[in-house]
Amino acid sequence: MPFLREVPLDDDFGPFVAYRESYGFVPNFFRAQALLPRLIEAQASLEGVILMEGKALSRIQKQKIHLVIAAALQDTYWVTTRIATLQSLGVSKLQVGQLLENFQQAGLPTAEVALLDFCLKLSLDWQTVGLEDIEKLRSQQFDDFAILEAVLTCALSRFFSVLSAGVRPEPDFEPYKLTGAGGPAIKSPDRRSFAHGPQPQGRKEPYIRTVYLSPKTFGPFAGVLKTHGFIPNVYRAQSLRPDVLQAASSSVRAILITADVLSRIQKECIFVAVSAAILNSYCVAAHCNLLRGFGLSPEEGDQIALDHHQSSLSTADKSLLDFALKLAVRPSEICLEDIDGLRELGFADEQILECEAITALSNYVNMLQIGLGAEPDFELPRGYEQNKVYLSEAGDRHTGEGSGVPASVMAVEDPDAGFVVKAQVGDLRAFEELIRRHSSSVYRVLMAILGNPEESQDAMQDALLSAFKHIGGFQGRAKFSTWLVSIARNTALQRLRDRKDMQSLDESPEGEEEFRPRQIRAWQDDPEQIHSKSETKKLVEQSILGLPSKYRIVVMLRDIEQLPTEDVARQLGLTVPALKARLLRGRLMLRESLAPHFAASVGKAAI
Amino acid sequence: MITCDEFFAEFGDYLENRIPADVRQRLEEHLSHCRACHVLYDSTLKTLKIVTDSSSFELPSSVSDRIIDRVMARLHKEQS
Repeated sequence: MPFLREVPLDDDFGPFVAYRESYGFVPNFFRAQALLPRLIEAQASLEGVILMEGKALSRIQKQKIHLVIAAALQDTYWVTTRIATLQSLGVSKLQVGQLLENFQQAGLPTAEVALLDFCLKLSLDWQTVGLEDIEKLRSQQFDDFAILEAVLTCALSRFFSVLSAGVRPEPDFEPYKLTGAGGPAIKSPDRRSFAHGPQPQGRKEPYIRTVYLSPKTFGPFAGVLKTHGFIPNVYRAQSLRPDVLQAASSSVRAILITADVLSRIQKECIFVAVSAAILNSYCVAAHCNLLRGFGLSPEEGDQIALDHHQSSLSTADKSLLDFALKLAVRPSEICLEDIDGLRELGFADEQILECEAITALSNYVNMLQIGLGAEPDFELPRGYEQNKVYLSEAGDRHTGEGSGVPASVMAVEDPDAGFVVKAQVGDLRAFEELIRRHSSSVYRVLMAILGNPEESQDAMQDALLSAFKHIGGFQGRAKFSTWLVSIARNTALQRLRDRKDMQSLDESPEGEEEFRPRQIRAWQDDPEQIHSKSETKKLVEQSILGLPSKYRIVVMLRDIEQLPTEDVARQLGLTVPALKARLLRGRLMLRESLAPHFAASVGKAAI
Repeated sequence: MITCDEFFAEFGDYLENRIPADVRQRLEEHLSHCRACHVLYDSTLKTLKIVTDSSSFELPSSVSDRIIDRVMARLHKEQS
């Protein structure tokens, strides 16, 4: 039995069609993730560009790599499935058996053995991988395209094997019996030692050749720029394969950025903790940086990397990280009790699945960085230097409760708590009280996103019904009002998606700085006295509704709904700097449109 | 002395009162002698005040009641 709840997906679901075409069947690994189809799409797009086609390496070479890595990780599921794939590609049963037993004596050409050696080292003993390993491959006539493909294949293999340990799919074929002794167990590294991990060696270039891809013309980099504020070297290092970057950037968006199941902060915490467990300070630094963008203090980010038990996360979130670390470091030991433990803490199967997918994604990115030798990003935004995650001392970094940790990751005092508990057991009067208290906030967030009163009122009904349906899953890690508003936000975004109007929200941030105000006439001293209150309200509403939607949303949430900047950023999945830029521009546009109504008349303009 | 561009770079944080004291001092010094930036600052501040005071996008309580009543009627029906 798979670990998580399964739901049927249609046979014409895109990735399933692709798998049937390429492998002749749909691996159960993907069916086991049907709760979140976007995860399946993300993985299928990566597999499509990395494994399914022969490029610099052949399909057989890449399937062999996955086979030996899966065997080393004691991943019976993928071993079984890859054996079948290799056989369908014409590799004999005997050869496959030899590969699994001892590939070094399977009569393979020296170059093939060197390739598998490298891949196993990267997958199991990554801390020792260095430029000399790349040189060894070069000496066997592998060019940079082939080396990149080998590293990508290793990274995806770890992604798949870690995730299969978490979802435990039904075998696709009669399971192959792995001899336990055959595979080297992964060392379980002491996390604290990452603080003393390898220091950068002053090398600025990745191991392999790169080409320049401009974020202005290469779409995936525009998205990466939006998320990080710069192009991390781990992306640049893959520039020989723009198709892979394209798939990777949409996969990262689907797995890490979409925040309808776990919050963005929970996801980044998982990413940071897993990277730290893999002892990779590169990804720790990059994602601690992102966490700060969501309002977490640098100390708190470091603390999560170092030992999350000492952080001020909620007990439930700490357990979620415990689970993620076990999955990352000792995947073969994950069992149903681990899953049930999370369920008892109130995590839904969707949330557990997403946690597993992020753990797997973190493995993927970390393997790429290590295998490609992408150096830490020195062109980080301001403030990075002091927060480099080569932590000097692992010692007593302990932060007390409430040290700038955002509401969504810790239990909060909530004036609605009493009613929430009642509503969760079906008390409709309690629920009615709750929605009456917050109906105007719900309406404003709907108006912010949809920009149309009739549609917002209609959506409000949907949002409130949806809130009742899901209130059982509310765990009190954020205030009820925050949770309710996020339900409303999701309802509105879904409507935009349904009417295929998302591009208005997804515009790139470019040009945000270029906006300079034009109206430079002084305003009247007491502008609110010029028009009646109802006239002013009408002018303001018209001006706000006249803003392009991405500005309208931030102005409404920040200035009308008066949410704190960090909360708005979190709600919209933006970094704080990106939000601030957008907010300023929105406010200035608003000023521009109100100016004709409030500026001093020309005669009086002189000071 | 800072330029108008430098002032503008800090303008967003200045409006939100999120800048260190020494930077604030330099910005205010700039404002005291640059009319264009002063007008920009003054009118933007007034814009924000007008917007926050306007009680815009308040849902009339009659509409809100109607929606909530409809939702509750449906939930009662589902529960019975």
